[in-house]
Amino acid sequence: MIPSRRKATLAPDPTSETGAVAVLAVVTGDEVYGFPLSAVREILVPPPIAEVPRAPESVIGVISVRGQIITLLDLPKVLNLDVDQGPTYGRVLLVDNGEELIGVAVDRVIQVYRMEPEHIEYASAMSAELSEYVVGVGRVAAGPKGGERMLILIDPVSLFGG
Amino acid sequence: MSDPRDNVQQEFLAEAQELVEALSRDLLLLDEAHRREERTDPALINEIFRSVHTLKGIAGMFGYKHVGAVAHALEDLLDDLRLGRTMLGQELLDALFDSVERFQKLLVLDDPQSPLEDAGVQAYIAALRSIGIAPSAEVGDPLDKYSIDAAVLSVLTEYEEHRLRACIREGLQLYRLRAAFDLTAIDDSIESLRADARDEAEIITYLPSMEGGNDDTIELVVLLASRLSERDLKTLFEARYGVVERIAERTHLQTLPPQLTSIPAAPPSMHAPTGEDASQASARSVANSVRVDIRKLDHLMNVVGELALVRSAVTRIVDRFQVESPYRQSMMDLDRIGRTFERQLSELRTGILDVRMVPLGQVFNKLARIVRQAAREHDKQVRLVVTGADTEVDKLIVEELTDPLMHLVRNAIDHGIEPASHRQVADKPNEGTLALNAYHKGSSVVIEVEDDGSGMNPHKLRDAAIARGLLSPDVSDELSRQEMLNLVFLPGLSTSAEVTDMSGRGVGMDVVKTNILRMGGMISIASERDIGTKITITLPITLAIIRALIVIVAGRTFALPITAVREAIPYMPSQVRTIQGREVISLRGETLAICDLARLFGFRGAKNQGGRFVVVGAMGNRELGFVVDELHGQQDVFIKSLGKSLSSVSGFAGATDLGDQQVALVLDAPALFAEYFDGAERVRALESRP
Repeated sequence: MIPSRRKATLAPDPTSETGAVAVLAVVTGDEVYGFPLSAVREILVPPPIAEVPRAPESVIGVISVRGQIITLLDLPKVLNLDVDQGPTYGRVLLVDNGEELIGVAVDRVIQVYRMEPEHIEYASAMSAELSEYVVGVGRVAAGPKGGERMLILIDPVSLFGG
Repeated sequence: MSDPRDNVQQEFLAEAQELVEALSRDLLLLDEAHRREERTDPALINEIFRSVHTLKGIAGMFGYKHVGAVAHALEDLLDDLRLGRTMLGQELLDALFDSVERFQKLLVLDDPQSPLEDAGVQAYIAALRSIGIAPSAEVGDPLDKYSIDAAVLSVLTEYEEHRLRACIREGLQLYRLRAAFDLTAIDDSIESLRADARDEAEIITYLPSMEGGNDDTIELVVLLASRLSERDLKTLFEARYGVVERIAERTHLQTLPPQLTSIPAAPPSMHAPTGEDASQASARSVANSVRVDIRKLDHLMNVVGELALVRSAVTRIVDRFQVESPYRQSMMDLDRIGRTFERQLSELRTGILDVRMVPLGQVFNKLARIVRQAAREHDKQVRLVVTGADTEVDKLIVEELTDPLMHLVRNAIDHGIEPASHRQVADKPNEGTLALNAYHKGSSVVIEVEDDGSGMNPHKLRDAAIARGLLSPDVSDELSRQEMLNLVFLPGLSTSAEVTDMSGRGVGMDVVKTNILRMGGMISIASERDIGTKITITLPITLAIIRALIVIVAGRTFALPITAVREAIPYMPSQVRTIQGREVISLRGETLAICDLARLFGFRGAKNQGGRFVVVGAMGNRELGFVVDELHGQQDVFIKSLGKSLSSVSGFAGATDLGDQQVALVLDAPALFAEYFDGAERVRALESRP
């Protein structure tokens, strides 16, 4: 239906003349991840979680958001990454993967970045080892002192969607 | 998802589907009349013609080239039929029935223009064109019997003229009804006249009379054909409409009264051809209903769920404030308003559920077509008797039910009902009867598929099960007759064609059973040799709301649909025995297999031993005890499916919000039963009998 997933996922912000993308940066485990802001519906304080036996390891459980049952994912486990410290699940992002809303548990939310196209390195241009859920890596300026922050850009359409 | 083009496309498909279903329904009526050698109802042929005509129109608009082409060819054929240029015969009926299947296939094509279909469609159209039985040669024009003025004949449409001839040929008497109609209500009046005439007289045409009433009324002369006597027709019409006169045949009277012999140039708007008038009426009735995407209803239901949560949040605040005196009175008022709100909310919920309900007749119509087809394939005579077609169930159930029922109906005709020759020997009427019955029973819907065929032989089923290695011979001696019949639902048994022939029935009965169980239903079978077989399906009316027993397992909350629960008893660890690696307990002298849910789901932290419960579940004729830690009473829960991401997880029918965002998974009892009993050890359940 959607001609190119990646393009749809990182659709440029229409208010930007340079084709910049609005990305929500979150921290979980040891990494900083970026979600296209257009796919994030809501940020919640985690509601009670019901564990789902037999579900894949990446599924933390299900939550109810205003009566709607939503699957909650552990991002590092979805991406098959080893995490040193245990998750704290400080916030839940409700992400639209094109088919349903998916909950993604994160430790904390940092801020929204406007990312120019030249600061995004797409996964196809990088090693093939990256997870299929990753669009690429984005670089943003971090803090007033300069320096850069690397964001792992997530493709929400592939999070059990598509 | 909300691409407007997609929506329009969906609208088209839904409308086309409805037209094809209407076509199918009308064809069945036509077929039945034809088989009984009854007169073909011209109104019915018009109805069919109109469905096809509309389908042609909308197919053209949406680029469904093949659908349009087939509809066009059919329309020509039906036009010939309607105008008496061809006669109704078996070949033509078959071709018409084929068109239903063909439309359905063409409508689901991904590419409605697909060149792959070109050849098939062209061949079908060519076949349609070759059909046609010329009407028997006429011996003189029947119109000659009456001297009807050429001026009258010239204003008749070809169709009206054909009907006039056909009626005279059938020996109907011609009448003239002269009636004044109120101009402002003329549509309604004509409609009610048509309704009153329906079975007793055919309206050939309406012509404006010369003595045309006054400013507010118009006088019409209605030309009628009827079998009734002049006196009966007068009784029928004179009180409500106007004067009825018989039109005498030429031998008795050479000229007609002036009203019909000379007609002023009729204003075209006054001339209401039968066909168009009826289509206006049907358009009007359609306007009273709307087609709704079921997802929109799901959304509304979610909103209702949200409101219920808001309501409970308000209640909590009221409770907190009620003890603090200054606001006591206001809080009591608020509490009262809250209760009213809750009542309205529950009405809203009922209302939405009601909208989801559709009559089972939708499925039964499809089945009627299968019955006809299967009966012809096997050259058997089958009469279909349907009761309770207006019984309503949830739309989702209707959809899920189609395949299993089709299967049962096919089985009944393929294997149940005998050929006429066998039936004569058995002293049964040549024509077999297949009954589809539906009715409500409490909060369930019962559907029965019953035939008066040869019945099933339980011993053959048992032998087949032994031969397939599904049953050990020593166990088989203990089986009751009913248990032997139930063997038909075993997967290995019914998939083999060879065994099917022997047992006389049952390809894929296990699939039917699985489908019914998945909906939270039950299926049972009763069969007597030479008397017949009855399959009974019991289903919940709606899938969405169920009553559930809330249980706690290792600190987690689960809901168990009450339909699957028979009772709950205290768990006595000391009474647990192990038979063939499975834990069992004794319940009133019977052995009951038990399954510890904490262990099944790999939970730690279940209660150690004491104070737990066994919830005795029953599905069909099987029982299984689920060991849980605590019982938290019963509750109506609105069951939501787990998302697509969890669709591969078995054992859960969905999840539900118990209030306060507490989520409980709803256990899928049929799946858990199947998991426990089926697989390599599917027959062991039979051995757990004492």
